[in-house]
Amino acid sequence: MESVADRVKKVTARVLKVDPKDIKPEQHFAMDLGAESVQSIELVASFEEEFGIEMDEDAALSVETVGGAIDFITKVCKEQGVKV
Amino acid sequence: MISTSTKSPLKTHPLKDTTTPNLLEETFDYSLPPLIKFDGPIVEYVDGKPVEFDPKSVKTRDIFITDTTFRDGQQARPPYTIDQMVHIYDLLAKLGGPKGVVRQTEFFLYTKNDRDTLDRCRSLGHKYPECTGWIRAVKGDFRLVKEAGLKESGMLTSCSDYHIFNKLKFKSRKECMDSYCEVVDAALEAGVRPRCHLEDLTRADIEGFVLPFVDRLMEMCRDVPEGQKVKIRLCDTMGFGISYPGVELPRSIPKLIYKLNRECGVPGSRLEWHGHNDFHKVHVNGATAWLYGCDSVNATLFGFGERTGNPPLEGAIFEYIALKGDLCGINTPVITELADYMRSIGLPIAENYPFVGKSFNTTSAGIHAGGLRSDERIYNIFDTTKLLGRSPRVAITDKSGADGVAVWVNEFFDLHGEERINKIKLAKLCRWVMDQYEVNKRLTSISDQELEAKTKELLPELWEQYKHRFKKR
Repeated sequence: MESVADRVKKVTARVLKVDPKDIKPEQHFAMDLGAESVQSIELVASFEEEFGIEMDEDAALSVETVGGAIDFITKVCKEQGVKV
Repeated sequence: MISTSTKSPLKTHPLKDTTTPNLLEETFDYSLPPLIKFDGPIVEYVDGKPVEFDPKSVKTRDIFITDTTFRDGQQARPPYTIDQMVHIYDLLAKLGGPKGVVRQTEFFLYTKNDRDTLDRCRSLGHKYPECTGWIRAVKGDFRLVKEAGLKESGMLTSCSDYHIFNKLKFKSRKECMDSYCEVVDAALEAGVRPRCHLEDLTRADIEGFVLPFVDRLMEMCRDVPEGQKVKIRLCDTMGFGISYPGVELPRSIPKLIYKLNRECGVPGSRLEWHGHNDFHKVHVNGATAWLYGCDSVNATLFGFGERTGNPPLEGAIFEYIALKGDLCGINTPVITELADYMRSIGLPIAENYPFVGKSFNTTSAGIHAGGLRSDERIYNIFDTTKLLGRSPRVAITDKSGADGVAVWVNEFFDLHGEERINKIKLAKLCRWVMDQYEVNKRLTSISDQELEAKTKELLPELWEQYKHRFKKR
């Protein structure tokens, strides 16, 4: 089974059209990976779909880095009883 | 000039820190238009002496609106049909409410259609607006007022020398005044209240003609019953009137009202302001007249009138509520009904026109839509849903962002509070919107119809869940 980190990188690569190998946990979605406003929404929507979870809009959109997203999604999955 | 000398040191203003917002709701009560409050008298220098006006008196004075949609309003457009005028009159009655905030409306009396319209309006049985007439100051015309059985009629008593000499070709001011007074006399004899329209007042010789004429009118009606005494309409025919203090006559609205009210003794209840919008001052000039002691403002629906138009009646309505601090029985949603009706009969109303234009409370910028999404008061002037039946909206463009799309969808499905759909659920629609501009290089805004179709296509689950709720536009 893929790790949360790998799945987050896979989704990020698809939405932002970057190579997954180039994505690092410390990278900032907007400043390093070029995520624009609508892409941030698409990223959150795609994470929800990938993990089968529902995230609080404001909390999810306040996550700024790939590593932050991995931690946040792991926490939400745990809260919502989704095995990862 | 404001002094900055050492004699009046600058005042410091320490921050009053707080963690709870002060939304100034005593003034910005969202259920009403923002209230207009005064913190002292207004001082105007008249003939070199300071004179005080108490603007707070509008709260207790019986100020009101008179309508001239069918007279001045009709001079700016093709004639209304009788049915149209009767319907508009009926809606004006509904709008002004039982206290008669829309107190009177005036009719031409010259054609059979004019007289039939008047009869049909009166047959509706509304107490307000009272129907009055409008004639030239010609004795022969007065027969029309008598035949129509009206209690009051306006008559053209032009008062600038442009009109007296160059238009009406009188040989002298005295000849002109005598001629006007003959018609006023005829009205008084017949038991009809004359309303003298001081045409071109803001370009007239006030001391040399206007005040002597009004003095004579006051003298003429000294012994007639109260309900018949002459009214004075202050006609700013060319829109030259100025609202702010310190301006010279004849353009100063404060001084004109002072002279007529306190020197000639015409009570405020018999003074009426009639403005024109040639210099974009029409609404505020009307409101100024109210504040300085003139009880009545003459207006037309949506400001339609000769050339640039008259004070917009719906603007006067919201000014009235803001000054009074109360709806006073006014049925504000009728304004939307009137606008819809006017559009249906071919009267154009600009999209950005206040209170009734298609986009008057529509925001386009994403950052504004974000504000609107979190608290509609941030970018909506008052509760337009309650007062006008028009909820705040967003227009979708490349500047709208996901917040704009979310506001549009929630408004479309009429979703409020916890039911509101968050923008994460709308990602596909947001992407489609952005692609319109980034990929397809679109330069126009996206219509409601397009968004409706795309919502159905891209968000089928939401569509199925909420389609029964979407608002017909």
